[in-house]
Amino acid sequence: MPKEPPLLEASSIGKQFPGVRALHNVNLTLFQGEILSLVGENGAGKSTMMKLLAGIHLPDDGAIKLNGDLVEITNVREAQKYGIALIHQELNLSDNLDIAANIFLGNEPHKNGVMDHNRIHRESAQFLKRVGLEFPTDTLVADLTIGHQQLVEISKALSVDARIIIMDEPTSSLSQKESKKLFEVIRGLKSQGISIIYISHRLGEVIDLSDRVSVLRDGENAGELVGDEITHDAMVKLMVGRDLSQFYNRTVTALGEKIFEVKGLRTPPYPDNEISFSVRSGEILGIAGLVGAGRTELLQTIFGITPAVGGSMKLNGKELMPKSSLEAIDSGIVLAPEDRKRHGLILEMNVRENTSLARLSRDQKVGIIDFNNEYELAEKTIKELKIKTPHSSQVVQYLSGGNQQKVVLGKWLSMNPSLLLLDEPTRGIDIGSKQEIYKLMEELAASGVAVIFVSSEMEEVLGMADRVLVMHEGAVTGDLSREQLNEEAVMQLATGNKAAA
Amino acid sequence: MIKKLTFILTALAVVLVAGCGNNSSNGTNDGDDKAKHKIAYVTNGIDPFWDLCAAGVRQAESELGGVECEIHFPTKGLADQKSIMESLMAKGIAGMAVSPVDADGQTKFLNEIASQTKLITHDADAPKSERLVYIGTDNYKAGRALGRLVKEAIPDGGEVAIFVGRLEQLNARQRRQGVIDELLDRPSQTLGQIKFDEVAKVFKGEKYTIVDTRTDNFVMDAAKSNAEDAITKYENLACMVGLFAYNPPRCLQAIKEAGKLGKIKVCGFDEDDALLQAIKDGHAHGTISQQPWNYGYQSVKVLKSILDGDNSVIPPNKFIDLGYKSVTAKNIDEFWSEKNKMAALGKKKD
Amino acid sequence: MNKNTIGILSLFVLIFGFTWYSNENFVNGYNMTNLVKWSSLYAIMGIGVAFVIITGGIDLSIGSVIGLVASLLALAIKYEWNPTLTVVLLLGLSIVIGLMHGLLITKVKLQPFVVTLCGLLFYRGISRWLTDNQTMQFPGTENLDSFFSGKLLIFGKFALSSPFFFLVVVAIIAAFFLNRTIWGRYLLALGNNEDGARYSGIQTDRLKIAAYVICSFLAGVSGLLFAYELDSVQPAQTGEFYELYAIAAAVLGGCSLRGGQGAIFGVIIAAAVIRLLRNSINLVGISTHLEFSIIGLVILGGVTADELIKRIVAKRRSKQISTSKS
Repeated sequence: MPKEPPLLEASSIGKQFPGVRALHNVNLTLFQGEILSLVGENGAGKSTMMKLLAGIHLPDDGAIKLNGDLVEITNVREAQKYGIALIHQELNLSDNLDIAANIFLGNEPHKNGVMDHNRIHRESAQFLKRVGLEFPTDTLVADLTIGHQQLVEISKALSVDARIIIMDEPTSSLSQKESKKLFEVIRGLKSQGISIIYISHRLGEVIDLSDRVSVLRDGENAGELVGDEITHDAMVKLMVGRDLSQFYNRTVTALGEKIFEVKGLRTPPYPDNEISFSVRSGEILGIAGLVGAGRTELLQTIFGITPAVGGSMKLNGKELMPKSSLEAIDSGIVLAPEDRKRHGLILEMNVRENTSLARLSRDQKVGIIDFNNEYELAEKTIKELKIKTPHSSQVVQYLSGGNQQKVVLGKWLSMNPSLLLLDEPTRGIDIGSKQEIYKLMEELAASGVAVIFVSSEMEEVLGMADRVLVMHEGAVTGDLSREQLNEEAVMQLATGNKAAA
Repeated sequence: MIKKLTFILTALAVVLVAGCGNNSSNGTNDGDDKAKHKIAYVTNGIDPFWDLCAAGVRQAESELGGVECEIHFPTKGLADQKSIMESLMAKGIAGMAVSPVDADGQTKFLNEIASQTKLITHDADAPKSERLVYIGTDNYKAGRALGRLVKEAIPDGGEVAIFVGRLEQLNARQRRQGVIDELLDRPSQTLGQIKFDEVAKVFKGEKYTIVDTRTDNFVMDAAKSNAEDAITKYENLACMVGLFAYNPPRCLQAIKEAGKLGKIKVCGFDEDDALLQAIKDGHAHGTISQQPWNYGYQSVKVLKSILDGDNSVIPPNKFIDLGYKSVTAKNIDEFWSEKNKMAALGKKKD
Repeated sequence: MNKNTIGILSLFVLIFGFTWYSNENFVNGYNMTNLVKWSSLYAIMGIGVAFVIITGGIDLSIGSVIGLVASLLALAIKYEWNPTLTVVLLLGLSIVIGLMHGLLITKVKLQPFVVTLCGLLFYRGISRWLTDNQTMQFPGTENLDSFFSGKLLIFGKFALSSPFFFLVVVAIIAAFFLNRTIWGRYLLALGNNEDGARYSGIQTDRLKIAAYVICSFLAGVSGLLFAYELDSVQPAQTGEFYELYAIAAAVLGGCSLRGGQGAIFGVIIAAAVIRLLRNSINLVGISTHLEFSIIGLVILGGVTADELIKRIVAKRRSKQISTSKS
């Protein structure tokens, strides 16, 4: 551990968004040539923290010191000036330009407005060498793999003399081979004296790579681990605030009949892949996979939002192939979508109106809303799901993520579904609500509902599922029972490595 | 998106132009087309007044022979009139009679037209332009005649309000000035050198007070509510003067609804049937008619003469005054039957 | 009554008071009769377009539909068709027009702006073509005359005219539909978040089509009322620009062009404000040439104030929540 004064020191950082306290009294230090991993669950505040450092947001409270000097980073340009570069999870490259043009985008060396092409290509080649990317600098970015594009992003950071490179989930869409290559590059950068802040959900990578780990939980510091302290269990414990075994306290109930069966289902984005699986009543089926594996699309097809292009489905012994969400709902399938704000809720409507939205057509009398009934339904839902809201007339956009998700679930539970589809049910939700949602999933399963949930959080998949389907590029690459479940196996399948199963 | 929109607009324009083309080509075909002068008659808007003028155009066309006339009614004021005239020029037209929407502002454009074709003005003049001749009424004199009608209607004097479509038009300003000068017993002014009074001003004479002039931009509901609001605002309103054909009927409607028929007199311009009926019924005092069919007839006749090479029709002062006719209860029957006759004649031709 | 409505109501009271102060004749029976009549005519159009605006769409064809219906009515009377049958047919026509708009927007997925802009041009052209662009004197028909432009004397010279009674019926049905029926709720939901509504099993396309049908139908009703009110139809001009007044009334009355918000009562008051401004301009004696500018400024001021209030409320709420959390 280097003991000289830290390169970067952020203290007592606070940040507020409408309705959400994103960060509170967060401290973070970074030394030169250090790889610091920042871990925490979704919504813990990692991305917000990084955006503050990169000048995308401004902190409400706290101070940031660079080399001991107090600085104020008000925009991205300024962050660049201080040598801080953020590489987003979704890359910000222009596909239609070549590597060199991307590296110098916005910083083109020029004479009176005329670009110095030779210099751009000459210097780009040097940066590519530093990250070990052996491509001509005039290669179009569109022709590169994601992994190589990532390296171009890093070269871009180097081109502005970045001393601190922040990487937000860089491996989320990389193959294992590509990830390994990236780690080599990161270690190389470290040896060149560059400091890295590495954000990842993949704790295995974090253990391999990090000098130090800082854990965030609910927008606050949860703890710090150095060297040998960095273990899987230790990190998870800090992330969730208690032992994992307690957190996912899954009591497996006896499974009932097969109630939902999918045969040869083909979804519009992957019309060549046939998907088949079944779920029993009382079963919780997890679907794991990388971003873009086709999990969300599968749920949307089952729910009738993007009708299937082939195959068959059977629910409670009855054939069905919903062409609209209304058909799916009517036959007992409901979906709590991944993007709560865009798909799950009518944000500007209140809790009452959101909980009743799907039920209205059942409770109406000649089209007229029964307001008493609606009110009672809302009050009941608020009570049963412990939704924290001052009253049922509160507009849902002012609720916290967890409570918003409960409203979505409340809406569907009142419909007494046979099959509950959950897409990333706990994304961006505080720990407390998270646990309540898990409990709810269990209770529903116990009452005979079949639950299918998609999750990108390994802990959640491992902890909650009775069985896990793993998807890769629109196809099911594995079907793991609870006994076969482990992180390694899921990762192998999710990256398309079938042999691992 | 923009491409799509452009395409649709172009398609619409093509359809419209094609439609116009059809209209003009189904005119008279009973002579040698080559010998016929192709001319155009352009109004400043749409109004029953122009329908009667069109009747005169058609009458002249058939009576005089050797001339074929397109009639255009611009609907959207200045810009629309300009684009119609431009497309007429593009088409190649031998002569054009136009009632300019804005005489002064259009001078340059009118000169451009005049350099390419025989241009005359009718109804409203553009004195600064190089038009060959102006066929019309001395609107100032007609305005004074209207003023005299008002004096007849309310011999004891009182408050008078004026209603008009637009004051950008010279004829509207001249009429208005004529009415004001007559009511205030000012000396007569010469057409072309008239000093115009400003709009937002009350003119108090010995007997008569002109309390207001309201414009409506040819919007019907505005014309009516202007009349209504004047009745509300001026409790002692004695006479309403409508300078454009549709104004007096709107005034009459408003008066009727206020229950003041006969109490507030109406004097108007032109010959809307509703106004003529009111004169007959004694609800309106009278109107000044320019006998619009003469406009159409004379325009065609003059253009034909010019095109035939006979410039003697152009008087030295370049103004052919068609005069006006005062219509009151005394001569309403005779006038109305003449109007109906002309209207029927015009329709038969179409 | 929501906050928007209170804002617009105060604006109304303010202008009302100012005009009264400037000219005491303002409140006489005759003027009030006229004000109520014109406001009602505008409000009916405004309510129509409010439904479309609630879905996040727009209808620019209202004025042309009014012109078309009025022109066809005048033509039918000229050719001595059965007036009642004609009225029924014309209302049917306006429904068909709305249906076409709705289908083009939902099924062919064209943008509402484009579809109704083309409608604006198309119907205007048809009106002019069918009538040969002739101004139609409007002799009226005895029984329908009193139905569409009759007056009921209340006291003194104050009378309520047919358009007012039409408005009352339209407003009650519209407010009931929007606030009490599931379809009204769905309409608000889809206006706020169309995807969200679809994910809740709402058939958003049908509702959108319904909104365009309502809008065109009410434009058709307005067309009949305007024709009977003015006793004269000009195919090229009757109804021109009315869509803009209708949209202004809807927006000023609390509908957001982003969709999802609307209050029928607010729209009525906003339509009244627009008419009141005209009336006021005439009575106070401001040049008519300034009319558009004044109306434009007042609407701009109204929506700006509305937006600022909303922002303050949102800020306060989010503060409340965060303090209650920590």
